[in-house]
Amino acid sequence: MEEDPPSPQKRSTSPPTPFTLPVDSDKKATEFRPFSPSSLSSPHMRAFHLAWLSLFSCFFSTFSIPPLIPIIRHDLNLTDTDVGTAGMASFLGSIFSRLAMGPVCDLLGPRVASATLSLITAPIVLSASLVSSPQSFILVRFLVGFCLANFVANQFWMSSMFSGCVVGLANGVSAGWANMGAGVSQLLMPLIFTAITSLNVGTHTAWRLAFIVPSTFQALTAIMVLIYGQDLPSGNYKEFKKTKTESREEKFVHVLFNGLKNYRGWILGLTYGFCFGVELTTDNIIAQYFYDRFGVNLQVAGTIAASFGMANLFSRPMGGVISDEMGRRFGIRGRLWGLWAVQTAAGLLCVLLGRVNSLCGSVLVMCVFSVFVQAAGGLTFGVVPFVSKRSLGVISGMTGSGGTVGAVVTQMLLFSGSKFSKQTSISLMGLMMIVCTLPVSLIYFPQWGGMFCGPSFDPNEPADEHYRLLQ
Amino acid sequence: MAARGLLLASIYLSLLVHECYGVTLFSSLQKTLQVTTTTKRGQVLKAGEDKLTITWGLNQSLAAGTDSAYKTMKLQLCFAPVSQKDRAWRKTEDHLNKDKTCSFKIVEKPYNKSLQTLDWIIESDVPTATYFVRAYALNAERHEVAYGQSTNDQKTTNLFDIQAITGRHASLDIASVCFSVFSVVALFGFFFHEKRKARMSPQK
Repeated sequence: MEEDPPSPQKRSTSPPTPFTLPVDSDKKATEFRPFSPSSLSSPHMRAFHLAWLSLFSCFFSTFSIPPLIPIIRHDLNLTDTDVGTAGMASFLGSIFSRLAMGPVCDLLGPRVASATLSLITAPIVLSASLVSSPQSFILVRFLVGFCLANFVANQFWMSSMFSGCVVGLANGVSAGWANMGAGVSQLLMPLIFTAITSLNVGTHTAWRLAFIVPSTFQALTAIMVLIYGQDLPSGNYKEFKKTKTESREEKFVHVLFNGLKNYRGWILGLTYGFCFGVELTTDNIIAQYFYDRFGVNLQVAGTIAASFGMANLFSRPMGGVISDEMGRRFGIRGRLWGLWAVQTAAGLLCVLLGRVNSLCGSVLVMCVFSVFVQAAGGLTFGVVPFVSKRSLGVISGMTGSGGTVGAVVTQMLLFSGSKFSKQTSISLMGLMMIVCTLPVSLIYFPQWGGMFCGPSFDPNEPADEHYRLLQ
Repeated sequence: MAARGLLLASIYLSLLVHECYGVTLFSSLQKTLQVTTTTKRGQVLKAGEDKLTITWGLNQSLAAGTDSAYKTMKLQLCFAPVSQKDRAWRKTEDHLNKDKTCSFKIVEKPYNKSLQTLDWIIESDVPTATYFVRAYALNAERHEVAYGQSTNDQKTTNLFDIQAITGRHASLDIASVCFSVFSVVALFGFFFHEKRKARMSPQK
């Protein structure tokens, strides 16, 4: 355990600080410097950049299809129902893959887990160029959605590399920058399509060729993760597996059930379903909405849809920062109120988005809505670490999966078939967000209180009482 | 403050511009034109290859002077109801600016009193669907004033199918297979390399 495998960045002459970043006793970094090029020599920041880049490529691939749907639906003779079913299918696979990713990361390490998933799903992204029927279209979207499980590997890797004081920020920035992949994809794919058609390739073939870009990018990031990444600050999982005690594997079932029976995990899963889930659904339908309702062309629709996803650059990290600030001033009560307020505001803006009739107004409301809904995602993961220390992985997995369940439910109820007009569906989605954020008021921590009630016992009591309640 | 003013101004302007385009409703148009297509029932035409013969002109039984305002004729390929079902992006609306029934322009020509015929080779980007042909007569301000179509008012007769060309090519199929093989080989190559490194390191 004390023997570190030789690493290139280790200065053999000065033992006290083998890393270029300050670290704690577990060798996890205590500082987070995403913009400093010199920090790249430390495995922590290298892991950060590899993690967010590979998750970015997964989001890029999953959302490479929606901006081209106006072309694909003509080519494959798709109906509204087909498009809606495919949208749902794209998130269905990730529900189960996200739940499974937690244990897989435990066994194999986040590096191997995420790279394997990326390399296996990259050919499937390219196979989107071979679809010729609605059924195969739905199947491809279902299979590509599996790669979103890399979110769990990403957060797991950050938690292994960064110490408690910066892990929230590292998690938030990593997830936020990766989520931008959905936005960048909406912007780039129409441009790639137009570039290919300008080479005198017919539209029927051009959209198929466009998928070469996301699949190659995904494979490249996976290979980079394998070559340059490492699971832990001092080496890879395989080298430390032998030192893990057997009792850890036995307790896994206990840890799992401990997490599952915690009602707070379920409530957070529900609320995350109506902030991140709504964000995913909006990513799926927004380009088509602007193309159909306001008659803008494919590139403009893609640009507008992109600005929705790209707000993640700052809005999700901002949510994490707000949560930390509210926590500092008002404790858990502040974090819960912050989550409720931001998510309800997002719901109101979503209702408004469906009612605005002009193009300029819609774009403006959509931009403000994007900031609030993404910040709500960051605020949710500001509460998650406090739910359970023992079952943090399980709670994170439940919350993360809840996000995609919300996406599937909203797509299924509101955006499959032509029952409601798209604008009515968007307003109804906002209404559902407001209603499903109310359960946040039910979250209660005996030692810290909830939204309306204070703590039910004196926080000065012996520490072991607290630990049991933290289970 | 200035930004808000600018936003309000642009919203107002866009509304004005929308009004300027006029509110031509399809139900206000007169059906004075006749259009026929030489297609057999159940015939499937191939996009990019087959020809569609269209004959159009003013209904000769109408009084003279009916066509005094007609300056241009526009022929369009329109979706039949069966191809519009469950596809909101092809919906029929009375408001002609919002109507998505007729998405493909066949030809636009100056108005001619006599019957015209055209042999149109179906363009390669026309998707697979069931269609009919509609002709609009435009006045000097380029507003629709009359129409005629190759089917009846319920859009049930004389419809024809067009089969789109497929975008799949053998080269793309081969490239996909090669890429998949590369991906899987890279993964297993990495595992093999790691195993070899692990086996070699205790010997060091």
